Amino acid sequence: MAEMKNIRGLSVKQRLWMSGLAAFAGIATMIGVGWYEGASISAALTASTRIDAIDKKVTDFRVADVDLVLTAMDIIVDRGEKAVSPERTQRMEADIAVLKKGIDAVTAFASEHKLPIDPVKFKADVEQLASLIHDKLPALVTSGASDADFDAIDNQIDKMGDAIEEVITKVSVATNDSQNAEVSVADSKASQFVIVQILIGLVAALLAGGMIALQARNVINGIRDIRDSLNRITHGDHAFAIAGTTRSDEIGEIARSAEFLRQAMAEKENAEAAAEEARRSRDSERAANENDRRREEAEIRQCVDILAGGLARLAEGDLSLEIRDPFRADLERLRQDYNSAVQRLNGVMGLISNQSSSIHANSFQMRTAADDLAKRTEQQAAALEQTSSSLEEITVTVRTATNRAEEAGRMVESTKANAERSTHVVGEAMDAMGRIESASREIGNIINVIDEIAFQTNLLALNAGVEAARAGEAGKGFAVVAQEVRELANRAAGAAKDIKHLVARSGDEVKTGVELVAATGNALRDIGADVVAINEHMISIVQAAREQNTGLAEINSAIGRMDHVTQQNAAMVEETNAACHTLNEDTTKLEAVIAQFRLKESASNSAGMMPGYVNVHPATPIPPRAPVVTRTFAPSVAPANPGVQKPRVSPAQTLMGKLENAFTGNRKPAKSSTSTDQWEEF
Amino acid sequence: MSNAIKQSGAYLEIVSFHLGDQEFCIDIMAIREIRGWAPVTPMPHTPSYVLGLINLRGAVIPVIDMACRLGMNMTEPSERSAIIVTDIKGKLVGLLVEQVSDMMTIKSEDLQPAPEIIPEAQRSFCRGIVALEKSMVCFLNLDTVISDDMAQAA
Repeated sequence: MAEMKNIRGLSVKQRLWMSGLAAFAGIATMIGVGWYEGASISAALTASTRIDAIDKKVTDFRVADVDLVLTAMDIIVDRGEKAVSPERTQRMEADIAVLKKGIDAVTAFASEHKLPIDPVKFKADVEQLASLIHDKLPALVTSGASDADFDAIDNQIDKMGDAIEEVITKVSVATNDSQNAEVSVADSKASQFVIVQILIGLVAALLAGGMIALQARNVINGIRDIRDSLNRITHGDHAFAIAGTTRSDEIGEIARSAEFLRQAMAEKENAEAAAEEARRSRDSERAANENDRRREEAEIRQCVDILAGGLARLAEGDLSLEIRDPFRADLERLRQDYNSAVQRLNGVMGLISNQSSSIHANSFQMRTAADDLAKRTEQQAAALEQTSSSLEEITVTVRTATNRAEEAGRMVESTKANAERSTHVVGEAMDAMGRIESASREIGNIINVIDEIAFQTNLLALNAGVEAARAGEAGKGFAVVAQEVRELANRAAGAAKDIKHLVARSGDEVKTGVELVAATGNALRDIGADVVAINEHMISIVQAAREQNTGLAEINSAIGRMDHVTQQNAAMVEETNAACHTLNEDTTKLEAVIAQFRLKESASNSAGMMPGYVNVHPATPIPPRAPVVTRTFAPSVAPANPGVQKPRVSPAQTLMGKLENAFTGNRKPAKSSTSTDQWEEF
Repeated sequence: MSNAIKQSGAYLEIVSFHLGDQEFCIDIMAIREIRGWAPVTPMPHTPSYVLGLINLRGAVIPVIDMACRLGMNMTEPSERSAIIVTDIKGKLVGLLVEQVSDMMTIKSEDLQPAPEIIPEAQRSFCRGIVALEKSMVCFLNLDTVISDDMAQAA
């Protein structure tokens, strides 16, 4: 039973494989038996062939043995020649080689078949025979030995040849026997294997046929069952169980699919029946609901009318009414939303009205401020132009100053050189003065000598006078001469005295001149030092002038940028001005538009015009937003506490203040404060 | 004696010299030589007006400071000072004077006697006064000047 279940559980593929395998096993067994048979016969034949080869060798051996013995006999017969012919020697050596080669094959065969042969003795016999014929016999022949010696060796050769012949005969008989035995074994095996092959072929054919029949029947039965079931389903019979769903092969899968199909058909029929039932019940319900719907439509139309009236008022701009009567429950939300919308609009419009008037005022202020700003910007532009031209003048002046300062520097250089030269000249003058002084001194000495000479002359004249007087009357003329000489001497002394005075005065003058010249030299040295200091100052002035030049160029470019910016400002101010004017007009228009709406304050006269309407409840105003911060443009509207917020200090004003301070000293701080106030206006 | 001869002559030759601010004169005939100042060799125990000795061509002669002798301050000798070598009573005496100023020839009438109110002792030094246009010159009596000196020296 269990085996049957296993067979049923196999798939179709597996069944086909099983049948094929059974046939293949039969054929393989037949091939195997045939191969074994061939191998056995082949082995027997191989053995026979080998024995045949041995037999051939044994035959060669025997032929060589006989031939050798016969050659020996020939040599003995022809011993009178006293020499062995080379043909005989060659033949003899060939026979001995055959014999030596065949020894191993003969002994191997004998030992394999356990023949009663002593291989050692056989080998020794062969060796001895070979040596007798090959070595001793030629020696005897050549030495011309006696006949007795030849008889002895002949006997020995015969004995050895017989012994070897005997062994060879035994071996030959054994080879023939074994060859016959091998051939008979091969024959018997061949006939036995034919019978075995036939038997195996039969068994394999039976097994394969049985397997194929069994599997085919199983598959055909399963497919027929499913065909019958599908036919029943096609004809509408869904209430049965399909056979073969429990199978695990492909047929079982087809059966399960058919089962699914059957169940689906059954469910579809059930669903159609339920749908029909439901449709009938809905028809009756719809008829009952029709009445209710008509009543609701009437109520809704009433509500819509009221709402439409309110919306029409709203469209006309009346924001003062709201709906008082409650609507039906599901539309009540609509009324509340309308009421809240009206309230919200009311509040928003009120707020917009307030804000628009505020905006109007502010825009007016802005317009005024923008006009002021435009005027000031123009003034600023004009001031900038003036500044620019002044700056150009200053630049020219500074450039001239730079040139002058450089020129002055050069002049100072030459002055310095002149002063140094003058110092040199003064030194020379002082030297000259010294020389004059020494010359005066020498003059004085000479004058002294002259004076001395005059004195001596005077004395001599006096003495001459004395002598003349003593000579009496004779010396009178001499006395006159002496008197003349005395006068001359006196004049010379007077002149010398005058010269002395003059030289003394001249010496004093020269001394004074030396002092003056020394003072002049000192003064010139001072002048030289001052000139050096002046030169340094001039250099720094020139440098400062150059820096001023660069600074002025920067200021110039800065003013150019300021001019550009001011022009842009002017354009922007004009745009702002236009925008302010437009804003003012727009605000006026906005106020006119807002005036079209009737707000809750002015709605009391039209209250109750429509039934169900009521004025907007005054107790629910829109909370006013935080007051708009209005900026103050005019300087008169200054902040309440100016001490808290420090006014911004204009950098330009600071610069001007610094310049002013630099030129006039620190004495006008008050003016800068006023200027900052002016700056704050902007 | 010689003075008398001279007074009788029509003309008188004199040599004038300065002592301080005053001007004196002596008779030219009493002069042997006039020479420049040369250092003197002082002599011990001599009056203050005797300055010392000089060597005049081998002869040793005394030198008298005339200013000191005439009661004035000592003369400061200089190169311009002069020594008038005189022959007084046969003795050579050098007179140191400040300056020899002139050599004049005057008439005898121009020599006036010294006023008499001056005492005799003092009056003996002066033989008379020569009145010139500009100044007055005292004509010295060399004998008196030297005599006392000689007497004291002796």
